[in-house]
Amino acid sequence: MTNLWRRHRWWLTPTLLIMPAAVLFSVVILASSVQSLWISLHEWDGFGPMTWIGFDNYRELFNDPQFYVSLKNNVIWLVMFMLAPPLGLAIALLVNQKIRGMRFLKSLFFIPLVLASVAVGVVFSWVYTPQFGLLALIFRFFGATAPAVLSDEHFVTFAVVIAALWPQTAFCMVLYLAGLNNLSEDLIGAGRVDGARGWNMLRHIVLPQLTQVTFIAIAVTVVGALRSFDMISVMTSGGPFGSSSVLAYQMFEQSIFSYRFGYGAAIASILFMIMAVFIVWYLTRIIRAEERGA
Amino acid sequence: MYPRPIPETAVWQRRFYVAVIVGILVIWLGPLFAVILTSFRSMQDVMGGNLWGWPTQFGLIENYTAVFTQTPMSQYFLNSLVITIPSVIGVLILSTLAGFVLSRYRFPGNMLVFALFVGGNFLPHQIMMIPVRDLMVRLNLYDTTMALIIFHVAFQTGFATLFMRNFIAALPDELFQAARAEGATPFQTLVHVVIPLVRPALAALAILLFTFIWNDYFWAVVLTISDSVKPVTAGLANLRGEWVSAWNLISAGTIVVAVPPVIMFFLMQKHFIAGLTMGAVKG
Amino acid sequence: MMNTHLDTLTDRPETEIRKQDAMTSLQLRQIQKSYGAYHALRGIDLSVEQGEFIVMVGPSGCGKSTLLKTIAGLETISSGQILINGRDVSNTEPGERGIAMVFQSYALYPHMTVAENMGFGLRMAHRPKAEIDAAVMRAAKILRITDQLDKRPKQLSGGQRQRVAIGRAITRSPDVFLFDEPLSNLDAALRTQMRVELSSLHAKLGATMVYVTHDQVEAMTMASRIVVLNHGSIEQVGSPLELYRNPANLFVAGFLGAPRVNFFEVAVDSVSGRSAAVSTAGLAPLTVELADGASVQRGDKLTMGIRPENLSVVSSPETASFSGQVRLVEHLGRETILYVDAGSLQCVSSESGNGNVTVQIGHVTAVSNDAAIGLRVDPRDIYLFSSGDARTISTRKSILAD
Repeated sequence: MTNLWRRHRWWLTPTLLIMPAAVLFSVVILASSVQSLWISLHEWDGFGPMTWIGFDNYRELFNDPQFYVSLKNNVIWLVMFMLAPPLGLAIALLVNQKIRGMRFLKSLFFIPLVLASVAVGVVFSWVYTPQFGLLALIFRFFGATAPAVLSDEHFVTFAVVIAALWPQTAFCMVLYLAGLNNLSEDLIGAGRVDGARGWNMLRHIVLPQLTQVTFIAIAVTVVGALRSFDMISVMTSGGPFGSSSVLAYQMFEQSIFSYRFGYGAAIASILFMIMAVFIVWYLTRIIRAEERGA
Repeated sequence: MYPRPIPETAVWQRRFYVAVIVGILVIWLGPLFAVILTSFRSMQDVMGGNLWGWPTQFGLIENYTAVFTQTPMSQYFLNSLVITIPSVIGVLILSTLAGFVLSRYRFPGNMLVFALFVGGNFLPHQIMMIPVRDLMVRLNLYDTTMALIIFHVAFQTGFATLFMRNFIAALPDELFQAARAEGATPFQTLVHVVIPLVRPALAALAILLFTFIWNDYFWAVVLTISDSVKPVTAGLANLRGEWVSAWNLISAGTIVVAVPPVIMFFLMQKHFIAGLTMGAVKG
Repeated sequence: MMNTHLDTLTDRPETEIRKQDAMTSLQLRQIQKSYGAYHALRGIDLSVEQGEFIVMVGPSGCGKSTLLKTIAGLETISSGQILINGRDVSNTEPGERGIAMVFQSYALYPHMTVAENMGFGLRMAHRPKAEIDAAVMRAAKILRITDQLDKRPKQLSGGQRQRVAIGRAITRSPDVFLFDEPLSNLDAALRTQMRVELSSLHAKLGATMVYVTHDQVEAMTMASRIVVLNHGSIEQVGSPLELYRNPANLFVAGFLGAPRVNFFEVAVDSVSGRSAAVSTAGLAPLTVELADGASVQRGDKLTMGIRPENLSVVSSPETASFSGQVRLVEHLGRETILYVDAGSLQCVSSESGNGNVTVQIGHVTAVSNDAAIGLRVDPRDIYLFSSGDARTISTRKSILAD
């Protein structure tokens, strides 16, 4: 027995060590994801037997006006979220000074990042509350009346995205601050000697050194935008009349509230496919970098 | 350094700069201040519509007492701890083991396993929602804290393994050769060499995971329904529905939900930032 | 130490594989190592006797570090056998081979104290604490680091870290010590000091040591025998002076010695008995004695090698072997290096890369740039290499030069 173990230890040890993580991750995360694709081809209420219906769920989905509303909102999220990296960079540049007390101010800027998104949702619901909220207060200061943004189908998505941008910008800011701390002093010095200042310095000397940070910032922002669920659920429940829903929320609603698990799985599959394009792009970059490193 | 530092000698310029930053910060955190202030208000003021004027009386203690006594918030809070702490420990163990193997052993499919861990981490949660919920129902774990613990450990292991793998891979190769040449088994190497050296990474990872898991809302609503298992995030969303316009109580509840991660962040700020930015800077 | 070896090692045939006897500490038999189509090691045979200090040298990528790691067991071998004290360890885990290794980066565990670092191997083998402490103390005494035992590697200087790394090896009291370029991270002064210390440590312990370096000074000063590797094969094995005076081939001649040997393309004018007259444009004919068994014919192309220190400046042009113009003078204090443009006599693969001949003079000279000088070489100092397999075909030179 000991001999057998000693002879095979070189491969048994690593296998045993990686097993728990690999099995748990494969079963719960990967297999489930694949299973969803399978469920999306069925009619299922979550309890009874599943009935095979082929692509009927998808056919129905492509004729569902709510699907296009959700999809449009996903696009709005994605586009507006792209403000987070530049805003984060701007704040990072602003606070990247070595002055007494700046460290503490910096960490206060980080706070939205550690708040639960539910908390952020509640905070902004309060800000947006008609008549009493912070927004109403500001409008009143200027002698105007604030619109009820969360019950107006034209404003609602923008209002929710602005709330979601708050922590996302803080996230990008953290990334850029780390990047700014790692700039090559020599290159900055060389740039100064060559007469680069202000915008030129940023554009030609600083930003090129932040490419990797920008890549990560965009990656986390895209994922954040496509994953948007919590804020919508807390702030609007997709309303009014589904006008602020996104695919993630519509899927949840169809499954949990309407017990249409097959249909929900179909929506999730579409969301997955959109995300897959992004994941493949991201992975090829990461793996190429890994192989260059190895 | 960029932007160019304001010289030490320009005292007034420096003071002015700080003042401007503080101004921006006040706007930046304005929504949060509004909620904190509201959590101090008394019920009379809130119901009477006096939300921004000078308060007629302070309701600070009453509000927070009410949150803990008149609602299941203390139960939610306890649930959150019961879910978060074991999950963090579980992820740390699994990801250290897996990260060690992925960074130190070359085997066919190493890159594939790595890619699956990374890619799986980016999947939209909705794609696994129905099967995971179904799995927990079949395991008789639906609506238990164990269901959330299992899911969080499984999901966060993807990200955490990537994290630990990169950290362990950055340790010098010769250290591992030295350990091997001295007769340490892989397991001994892990315990006596790797773990002591990756302690900072484990700390950073622990605080990140704590925040992620504590703040989770989606899985809380998918996998739990009873007050006896619900974490604070789902609980807060519930209370909002019940209290409608009792903004002083809702605000106090929000602060209660927000405080643990914020405290963790301030206690371990260095580790938190290091964890979040790892890989972003050097990669 | 050098001196004691001189008389025993002179003129001993070095390359043959000796029969394994009780004194053989390490034996390599036909070691092959390939990564896919790339052959890192191509059939290495080597026998190391108990107490020998073997230094492996060669250009980067020659396989010397790979060979050391296969002996340690950190790399597997594709075929062949490794024996330590007569025991086949080819498939044994590194920790069970009876070796200890000192790494280039020292590879000290940063989270452990010096004492913990040194005792790590014994601790992993679950040896009693008293035994570990005694072994650590013994090693620390030998290396005079007893006052450093509670420090961490970070608090030590480069030289001290190096001592700890060596101490860690001593603690294990291995059959064979393996060193992987251990001095290359130290500054020049410290390197000289550690070189001396390592030599005396070897004398004190009397242990078998295998040492990899790219520094030929380390090889020349420390080795009982040098192993010259190139492209994964052994080019020559022998005592430092043997290799320097009697390189087996053009590669070894070119590798050992700084400044490098001057190589020239020459042709054989005539052969008489055991000597051949060679010449080329710009070079007066030279008669060189040939080694036994060397077959050379009139008209053959050969490569001729002359060490820079074997060239001397002569005043009368008649006695000069060739003449040229000084292009550059380097005053090194005790000695002087001249780079001489010898016109049509072009040096191949020369030190300076432009065909100039390198001359090393053991004193200060007044020769200045652009001076025209005559240079002379004693034909007994000349090396001839066949142009086919690059083997040395000139006769053996006495190791104790006059």
